[in-house]
Order: sequence, then structure tokens, then C-alpha cells
Amino acid sequence: MAQHVTERDVRDIAEYARIHLDPDEIVQMTVDLNSIIDSLKPITEYDLEGVVPTFHPIGSLSNVMREDVEVTSFTQEEALSNAPARQDDCFLIPSILGEGGDR
Amino acid sequence: MAGFASMGVREIQVGLASKDFSAREVAQAALERIAKCDDEVHAYLEVTEELALQAADQIDEALASGKSPAEIGPIAGVPIAFKDNMNLKGTHTTCSSRMLESYVSPYTATCVARAIQAGGIPLGKLNMDEFAFGSSTETSAFGRTHNPWDLERVPGGSSGGSAAAVAAGLATVTLGSDTGGSIRQPGSFTGTVAVKPTYGVVSRYGIVAFGSSLDQVGPFARSVEDAALTLNAISGHDPLDCTSQPVDTDFTANLAEGAKGMRVGFVPAFMEAQGLEPEVKAIVEQAAKHLADAGAELVEVELPNAQAAMSAYYVLGPCEAFSNLSRFDSVRYGYCDPGHKDLGSQYEASRANGFGPEARRRIMLGSYLLSAGVYDKYYYPAQQVRTLITADYTRAYEKCDVILAPVSPRTAFKFGEISDPTSMYLSDMFTISINIAGNGGMSLPAGLGADTHLPVGVQLIGPQFKDENMFRAAAALEQVYGKAPLAPAFA
Repeated sequence: MAQHVTERDVRDIAEYARIHLDPDEIVQMTVDLNSIIDSLKPITEYDLEGVVPTFHPIGSLSNVMREDVEVTSFTQEEALSNAPARQDDCFLIPSILGEGGDR
Repeated sequence: MAGFASMGVREIQVGLASKDFSAREVAQAALERIAKCDDEVHAYLEVTEELALQAADQIDEALASGKSPAEIGPIAGVPIAFKDNMNLKGTHTTCSSRMLESYVSPYTATCVARAIQAGGIPLGKLNMDEFAFGSSTETSAFGRTHNPWDLERVPGGSSGGSAAAVAAGLATVTLGSDTGGSIRQPGSFTGTVAVKPTYGVVSRYGIVAFGSSLDQVGPFARSVEDAALTLNAISGHDPLDCTSQPVDTDFTANLAEGAKGMRVGFVPAFMEAQGLEPEVKAIVEQAAKHLADAGAELVEVELPNAQAAMSAYYVLGPCEAFSNLSRFDSVRYGYCDPGHKDLGSQYEASRANGFGPEARRRIMLGSYLLSAGVYDKYYYPAQQVRTLITADYTRAYEKCDVILAPVSPRTAFKFGEISDPTSMYLSDMFTISINIAGNGGMSLPAGLGADTHLPVGVQLIGPQFKDENMFRAAAALEQVYGKAPLAPAFA
């Protein structure tokens, strides 16, 4: 099987995706991703010269606009109802930079 | 009230109209059956008893005021339940994930609202693969659902709870969602009628998104007519989903027409596909013969790029999922790992511990595929392949009105039997190209496999926004096979 991603790559991808992986999970994820990416090979082998991509399954649609009128939306209380942590009317988060500065 | 479990929509409505029973009695019978049987099946994650009885009482009031069930709505008095990626205000909507374990919906999805508006009695929320990533419902964080036909086997997935509930008579109809086969494959595994309409027929507003260009909501039922009535209730344009279309089709309109004069496409290459079990092949061939006997004309068609659909899907699906699942930030809602002193480590720990292994794998894959330098190698070509697959279908439908194909290459497998992710992905080989091209497909129960004695569905695939074609062919086949029975252990 071809090596598409190294353990180093997988560590980087996990960082972009904001998912913490332990060292043993990095090893397994590298194996899994290489196997899956290998199975995607057919997509790289088609002659697609000049083929226009389809980004949406229903082709002939135009953008839809609505009248710019006020409609009821969530109250602040509803919007905050599932927040894991809140302070007064705000979502509460820990320090963005952390105690020791940026990572 | 006796015999509720095997009743269809019409039988319930006839009983309501003739006052044989009340909607409240229907709701109570359904709730009692869930209490009695769902321990074995585990289709439900939450039972909404109060909402069910409330809805039933409203229907009884409307009936008492002189309205007929049909005037109340197409599924008036019909117990219905929803896949747990569908928001229903005040219920948990977990997507079978720890990430959303304590999430309570502050609003209701359009398809759910319409189903209740149409008289449906909401029984609860149904198990699924975590975030719909899977084909067996084994990846649910809240336990696996058992196939009512054989409790040692999976019900399919990702809408496994929706399928199992209907097969075991724990709901009359249910809603599921299908991104690559997640309605049709569990429909085949559990012997239920399972419909993925054309993309845009049903609003996706309020459904937790997986692949936004692929996801579509559809019904499970034990008859073609019940599925059509349910789709009538939930379809049509919704200002809250700009991809939903002004569809006003009555999907029951041509159910009685029969197959005479229909042109039914048959794809020879599908029947030679590697992995297609002989018992499934035999049933698809037999279905073709039944349609021909009913007066349909069988036409050979080709879908030469269908085999590329698998790899296109496993590029597009994870990319869209990666993007959609970036919203889980441990701040606005969802799981928050406690005790972190900076936001970065809170994000990373919350997403690591909130998402299960398959969700993490797909997010990682999507992140990789969309990264600089890799995008041009996989994502862009996948969208080009999409053009080829769509063109294949357009060409095929010049020669036919509907295509007949397998749903799944095999019948339901045992728990743990398929553990390798790439092998699991193969179970969607005949369903994926339809999501890629955006047209509709449905699984119709066509008897039991000769070897495994488990349900086998055949797939009917219609052109975009001609979903009535597949309903018509399915109804013709149902004349031969009969309506879908309850799983024997639950009959």
C-alpha cells in the first residue's frame, strides 16, 4: 500500500481539524487514512480533460432571495440554552491565549 | 387496541373514521408496544410520550368536530418516529453521538413539523450511526440497534433505528436520511419500503448536516402507499432551505396504474459486480421478470461511470462532513471537555472525546482532502466525475422511465462481521451514484434470499424530480410480493 500520509502529516491534520490524538491513535489513524486514500485511487486515474465540475446535484438552479422583512428568531435565552458554560447573556470560554501565551 | 402493529395508514384512518378506536388509543397502543418490544430491538433513543398523546388528543378533537382523517392530513392518526438527526423542539437530538448527548432542540426541523402538521403522532427519536457515518448503526454511541428479522444481525445504516422500528411494528412510518444509501440499505436489510427522494424534494432545514450536497430525507413504511402518503406530507418548498423545490407531486397518484407500458432500465454490468451475492442477483432478476410479466418493457442501459461513484463519494462525503462538523466548538452547544485553561486545548479535547472513531476518521480524511496541493488531486476530479455520472443517468433515461438495480450486494450481516472501514463502505456500492447525481431511489422488499432467508430489497431509481415513476413501478411489484410483513418474531 502506498504511503500517502506519514504520522507527522496526521499530527498536522489533527491540529487543523482541532482533534487531539494520542500517540497510539496517531499510529492507527495513519494506517486507516492510508488505506482509505488508497481506495480513492480510481478518482485520480480518470481522463477528465475538459470536464466541467458539478458542485451541486441539481444543475439549473438560480440563487433564491427573499423579501428583506423581519422575522422572529431565537431569543437570547434560547440561543444560550445549550451553552456548556455561560456568564450572564454571553457564552463563556477559557482564555484564548492560555496562561502561558499562545501555543 | 388489538392489531395495531400490522396496520397501515389507511387501516388506521378507516378505524378512526368509523370510531372503532380513537387517535389516543392508537398512540397508547404504539407506546405500549415500544415499552414491551424495544428492549430487544433498541430502535428508540427517546420516546416522546407526552408529545404523542398531545398530538393524538388534537386529532381526536378534530375528528369530534366532524373532520375526516383525510381532511386533517395525509397521515392523520399515524404513529411516526424520527431519526435522531432531526430536530424536534424540546427533545434530545443526539445524532447518536456523545458530542450532542445533552443537546435539547430549541426548534423543529421542517420535515418533522410537516409530518406532525399532517396528523402524524410523534413517538420519538431513533438510533443511527454516529452523525450518519456508517452502514450498520454499530457506531452509535448509545448502543446498537438489532435487526428484527435476526437480533444477532445489524439493521443496516445509518438510518438503522428508522428501519428496525417499522420492521418490528414500533411505528407505522418513520423518517430517515440518506447521504449514500442510509435509507435504502437499511430498508433492504429489514424488508421495509424505504425512499430517498430526489435531492430538493424534502427540506433539509433542521436536519443535522452530513454532506449538504448529498443529504436527503425520506420515509420508511410497510407499503408503497404509506411511503407515498408520508412523502406527500413532508415534501415541497421551504423558505428555510433554498435547495428545496416547489414540488407538489401527489406520490400516490399513479400507484394503481401498473407497470404496463413502462420502460424499465436494467444495467447488465451491475449484475456482474464483484461482491454481489447470488441470492441478491437472483431476486433482482426475478423482479425484472415480474415487471416484464406485468407489461413493462425491459431495456438494457449503461451507467459506465457508476463505479467511479464510490471513490467520488468517499472524497465528497468526508470533505462536506469535515466542513459541517467544524461547527462543534464546545462553546455554543455540544460536549465540552472540562477543566481546560485555554480555548485551543478545550477545542481539541472536546472534539477528541465528543466524536467517536468513525466521525474522527471522516473529519481527518476531509481535512486532508481539502488541504492545499491535495484538493486538486481528489476533490476537484470528484466533482468532475459527478458531471459524468449525472450525464450517464440523463442518457439512460432517454431510453427508460425507471431503472431496476440491487440495493445492497448482500443481506444483513452479523454484528462485528465487517470491521474494516473500507469493506464497510462497499455495502453502498449500488446506492451511492444516485446521491452523487441527485435523483431518487427506493428499496422495495422483494422476498427473502434463498441462502440466508433474510430480506432482500430491489432498488427502483427514477429520473430527477420524476419520483412518481419509481413509486409506480414499486406499486406494480408490490402486487406480486405483497405488502412488507412485520418481522416474524414481532408479528
